[in-house]
Amino acid sequence: MSAPPTGMILLRCSLAVVAIATIWCGLLPQLLQWAPVSSHVDLMERRGVNPSVMYYTELERLPLRPPWVDQVLILWP
Amino acid sequence: MPLRSKEGMHEDVSTVVIGITILVLALAGTWIARPVEESGSRERYAKGWPSPLTATVGLPGGWADSPIEAFRNKSGGWNLLPVALGMGWVALIGGLGTVLGGRSLRAYLPGALVLVLLTVLAYLLAGQKVVKYYNLEYPLWALAVGLLVTNVAATPRWLTPALLGEFFIKTGLVVFGGEVLVSRLLALGLPGLMTSWIVTPIVLTATYLFGVHVLRIESKPLCMTLSADMSVCGVSAAIATGAACRAKKEELSLAIGLSLFFTMIMMIAMPPVIRWMELDPILGGAWIGGTIDATGAVVAAGESLGKEAGEVAATVKMIQNSMIGLIAFAVAVYWAGWVDHDGSGPRVTLAGEAWRRFPTFILGFLAMSLVCSWLHAQGPEQSLWVEGATDGFTKHLRGWLFCTGFVCMGLQTNLRELAPMLLSGRAVVLYVAGQALNLVLTLAMASLTFGWLFRKVVEP
Repeated sequence: MSAPPTGMILLRCSLAVVAIATIWCGLLPQLLQWAPVSSHVDLMERRGVNPSVMYYTELERLPLRPPWVDQVLILWP
Repeated sequence: MPLRSKEGMHEDVSTVVIGITILVLALAGTWIARPVEESGSRERYAKGWPSPLTATVGLPGGWADSPIEAFRNKSGGWNLLPVALGMGWVALIGGLGTVLGGRSLRAYLPGALVLVLLTVLAYLLAGQKVVKYYNLEYPLWALAVGLLVTNVAATPRWLTPALLGEFFIKTGLVVFGGEVLVSRLLALGLPGLMTSWIVTPIVLTATYLFGVHVLRIESKPLCMTLSADMSVCGVSAAIATGAACRAKKEELSLAIGLSLFFTMIMMIAMPPVIRWMELDPILGGAWIGGTIDATGAVVAAGESLGKEAGEVAATVKMIQNSMIGLIAFAVAVYWAGWVDHDGSGPRVTLAGEAWRRFPTFILGFLAMSLVCSWLHAQGPEQSLWVEGATDGFTKHLRGWLFCTGFVCMGLQTNLRELAPMLLSGRAVVLYVAGQALNLVLTLAMASLTFGWLFRKVVEP
């Protein structure tokens, strides 16, 4: 497949940059003002939760070891 | 396909060598700078000993209105140097891989510069608050950035020597092994073990067999990668098992895209469903932890049910997280011994056959997991040492490596191969069917363990 002409590449790149800038710097910040979204974000920030964490080591803090664990490690029902 | 020139080291071997070197460096640096006072105090060093290497591997942070905010740290200062050093680590590791593989460093360098800049762009797109708090993780944006560049401008020829996607992901996996601690498996005792270790392998196997034999999806690696990311722990499991069964870039991209899409839906939908069903918070938390793919989304959904549910959800997911080393190993053994064996030649022994085809980097991943698990279990100081090395350094570096690997994959992904897989709809059916089974079995097992067998013990 032959490469597109340079002018066409520049035009496409410009359009892509404008689209990304419009969405990320315009639409998404506006969406952040919308009540359902802002309340979700506020709740997560208040509780120190980052939902985009991929693995448990990236959590702000590890889950606490519940007090009953030592019993169930030994006891069968 | 692994890259290797005539004189170079095999790619898998070089990923193990570099990955182990990084972990040794992280552990050595943390040990040298270990605190003198209260070195075993969990209260004082909640996330492990401070690592002197932390300042060398920064990531762009979150932002709301302007991406410039991503380069500021929590105290309001600039974070540019650590981010630039993080980019430097990626370029250096890619350069080492190029040299060990016997390829030209001069050809690699110009592309590497552009590649790390694209990786920063992916992190910036993932860091916007709406994107971040709705669980649209960086692998999605890294793939999207790569796809956008290759479709808008076509990947230039000079960029090709830097596109070491598999190398970056495999090296990231070996480094990642240090975070997969076996001791976490006992974090919720028997109820947690039963919920994770009985249900997860059943769902994984049943979904894979359903995809291969009922839906008749031609690609077995796609079935396995989708099954693992749905039943174990999302993107991280997809990366590990996809690498273990040699899934194509397009297959891994599809599995990750589906996982993130359904995770977002389940993160929003499960808490109201659990409230409507009037489930006990501990039971609800265990159900969320066992079914939602991504760790962050699990915590988000669990916390919206309450603190207790959040803790149980996060812990069940942490147990599943800890399984990925063994699952990736088992998948690699199965693939090497059964799936890849074409029957054309005589099979000397199963072990010999498996060993010949086995992906070496999975051994590196598992070895790092076992070594760090052993070290972590030696005492309070050693556990803070391992946690400091991984939390302060390697987890950021493997994030860079994965993100760069996904940008490379996006740049090399053929949309014409991806489109039929998506348009046939069978991958979506496989995901939905597997997740439905996962929801039913996890609820049944969580009800059995948390709601009946151990009810008296776990009741607050």
